[in-house]
Amino acid sequence: MKSPLRPPALAGPPGRRAGALLGAGTMLLAAGCTVANSGATAAGADTVRIVLPEEPPTLEPCDASLTATGRVTRSNITEPLTERVPATGELAPKLATAWDRRDATTWRFTLRDGVEFHDGTPFTAEAAAFSIDRTVNSGIDCNVAGYVFGDSEISATAVDGTTLDVTTAEPDPILPLRLSFVEIVPTHTDTSGKVREPVGTGPYRIDTWNQGINLRLDRFDDYWGEQPAYAAALYSWRAEGSIRAAMVTSGEADVAVGLAPADGAGEHAVEFPNNETSYLRMDAAKPPLDDIRVRQAINYAIDREGLVASVFAGLGEPAGQIVPDGVTGYNPDIAAWPHDMDRARELIDEARADGVPVDTTITLIGRNGIYPKAAETLEVVQNALLDAGLRVEIRMLDVNAWMEYLLRPFPADTGPTLLQAQHGNQAGDAAFSLGQIYGSEGAQSSWGTPELDRLIQEAELSSDAERQAAFAEALAHQDREVVRDAVLAHMTGIISLSPHVAYEPDSATNDEMHLAAMRPAG
Amino acid sequence: MLVFLRNRVLSSAVPLLFVVLGVFFLARLTGDPANLYLPLSATPEMREAFSESHGFNDPLLAQFGDYLAQIASFDFGESLRTAQPAAEAVLRAFPATLQLAGFTMLFAIVGAVLVGSLAAYRPNSWVDRVASFLSATAASTPDFWFAIMGVLVFAVQLDWLPTSGTTGAGVWVLPIATLLIRPFGVLVQVVRGAMVSALSAPYVKVARSKGAGETRVVFRHALRNAGAPALTVAGDLAVGLVNGAVVVETIFGWPGIGKLMIDSILQRDFAVLQAAVLLTALTIFVLNILIDICYALMDARVRQGATV
Repeated sequence: MKSPLRPPALAGPPGRRAGALLGAGTMLLAAGCTVANSGATAAGADTVRIVLPEEPPTLEPCDASLTATGRVTRSNITEPLTERVPATGELAPKLATAWDRRDATTWRFTLRDGVEFHDGTPFTAEAAAFSIDRTVNSGIDCNVAGYVFGDSEISATAVDGTTLDVTTAEPDPILPLRLSFVEIVPTHTDTSGKVREPVGTGPYRIDTWNQGINLRLDRFDDYWGEQPAYAAALYSWRAEGSIRAAMVTSGEADVAVGLAPADGAGEHAVEFPNNETSYLRMDAAKPPLDDIRVRQAINYAIDREGLVASVFAGLGEPAGQIVPDGVTGYNPDIAAWPHDMDRARELIDEARADGVPVDTTITLIGRNGIYPKAAETLEVVQNALLDAGLRVEIRMLDVNAWMEYLLRPFPADTGPTLLQAQHGNQAGDAAFSLGQIYGSEGAQSSWGTPELDRLIQEAELSSDAERQAAFAEALAHQDREVVRDAVLAHMTGIISLSPHVAYEPDSATNDEMHLAAMRPAG
Repeated sequence: MLVFLRNRVLSSAVPLLFVVLGVFFLARLTGDPANLYLPLSATPEMREAFSESHGFNDPLLAQFGDYLAQIASFDFGESLRTAQPAAEAVLRAFPATLQLAGFTMLFAIVGAVLVGSLAAYRPNSWVDRVASFLSATAASTPDFWFAIMGVLVFAVQLDWLPTSGTTGAGVWVLPIATLLIRPFGVLVQVVRGAMVSALSAPYVKVARSKGAGETRVVFRHALRNAGAPALTVAGDLAVGLVNGAVVVETIFGWPGIGKLMIDSILQRDFAVLQAAVLLTALTIFVLNILIDICYALMDARVRQGATV
């Protein structure tokens, strides 16, 4: 929007312009050195300062399965009835002290007595029933509802003050695990819309949220459990990983999350297996990917050891299945595919001889920033597949455009694709992975087989040791007979930790970061 | 003058309208936001309900009609991300960007006038050469790289400044320096060029022969005449600050409208994006009008000869 007219350079000038400019500048200076839209929040020595990649969009507890919300809300502000312990995979009591299955479709929970919400309201079975109902049945588009319950029917009833019955339409052997995602709120919480700043029973309550700047939580004095070490937590957010790392180095923050090897956390870096598994989803319904030999060849062609060592800077573990160790159903006998380029070429040649159109261009669809060095990863894969005799192109997309390919219904008129994807099983049970990723009708599934569907459904309905064996079998069947994916690696996350803070990240750290697990070091 | 102003406003309003139109339709070409706001395992019914409740299922033109009707009643819609009014988010963020841009332009203009005049006063002296080299470097430095290096050197290595954020006076330095570097570099060159020709003009010789001091000659006589081209370029550079603000605010965690815009693009938060773009476009529109008024005040030929 340039002015079409330019005055000649030597036009007669009034001196008012400069005056006006200087005046404007002086006014700005007079406004002081306070940045507009910045609520000042001081952090003392008893405050732990955490820097996140993004501001939580909301702290609504029924959206706690969203990483940006959950890592602040879960077990800090609000609490569930049960909680999975990442180290053991066991389900531990939280607001419920015990639970048992009364019949095929009903579970009974005994609730903790003497617990108060931040506003002084007592926690009762009514509040628990209300919270489950609000999350699953209230029609406010709770993220947890879709993540944990799909479209299954569920109802909760308060038997007395500390007893809760939860009934499902279909038998559900892992209902207590599913309920570990339902954060409990008092019965006066809005059911017609979401709440940005919830009241909960957790060890911290919301003090001030300066939108766009920072969020401060204060210790809740009447917490039912052990008082946490820090009096307050101050969250801020920076999109740039190297800045987050620099903030810990320069002493402006105590914990920085979501870092990449290149962000330069240096001596403060703490690495931990983060639950995520990277994989390439093959569009096995389209030639040439509809031929299992081509899918096997792709798996043989990729050098996973080399990829992890070079592109991932040694962080991660070559993988052969979509869930990591620690998740119910993980099969220790499935190894990552070996790197065997000769075998890959052989298989492609065999397929070609049988008339499979192996010269069709396959598109590698990538997502920028899905994990560090995402684009480089695809370049390595492309190179390997070209080497094996396939034709491959790369398309990098942003999150939303990539989502169109991840979720059904898929965009029409695309040729055969390999989709760069990453799966994190937060819940610790393969039921949260297999159906949606490998089921013929799964939301993120490009293709499946009736036999694999049967194995997955059987596993979903079984319990305990049977359940573990059944899911392990389904995963092995996928790896041997179906070969829908090229699983790449179990990933490793990095946080940067100030020497003044003691904290041990675990596989759940990305999704819920317990402030109570942090304490001053030394 | 009023006729001139009316014509300028009308001719600048057309691009403004195109911007509003463009953002509305381009944003919607990038796909349905339902994927970003619903869990991965959401059923097709859930997706359908989401799109329906936010009106994404209506024909595009109908959506645009609704949007215009909303704007007319000063309703800018609701953020998908935070469920708060979009106007609130935009108005909260805007002053922080205005502060940043205002200080940046002030320093750029004052600094460029001083350095450019110094360089022009003795053309081809070492001062001139150093100034020209530095300004050319500044004008072509990528702001992203400069910002990260600034943090590494001044915050991490030397510990003189905070890395980012909004607390304390030190937080101003790196964001302003980053945003400043390009306009400053360009302006130094413009001022220098204009001053070189102004200082060799007849009236400067006249002023000197009348015994005016050198400072007065440079800053009163020559600079007045060199001001117009500098102002022209400064206006364009101020418009360009919007781009810079996106980078600077994202890196330094500055709670302004640039960061808000990039977030709402990535999050497909249409209402916030539209409100942010509308306000930014309006600001640029007003800025352009102001610059035009300055020209007109300077030069009667512009006023009278203004045909649109």
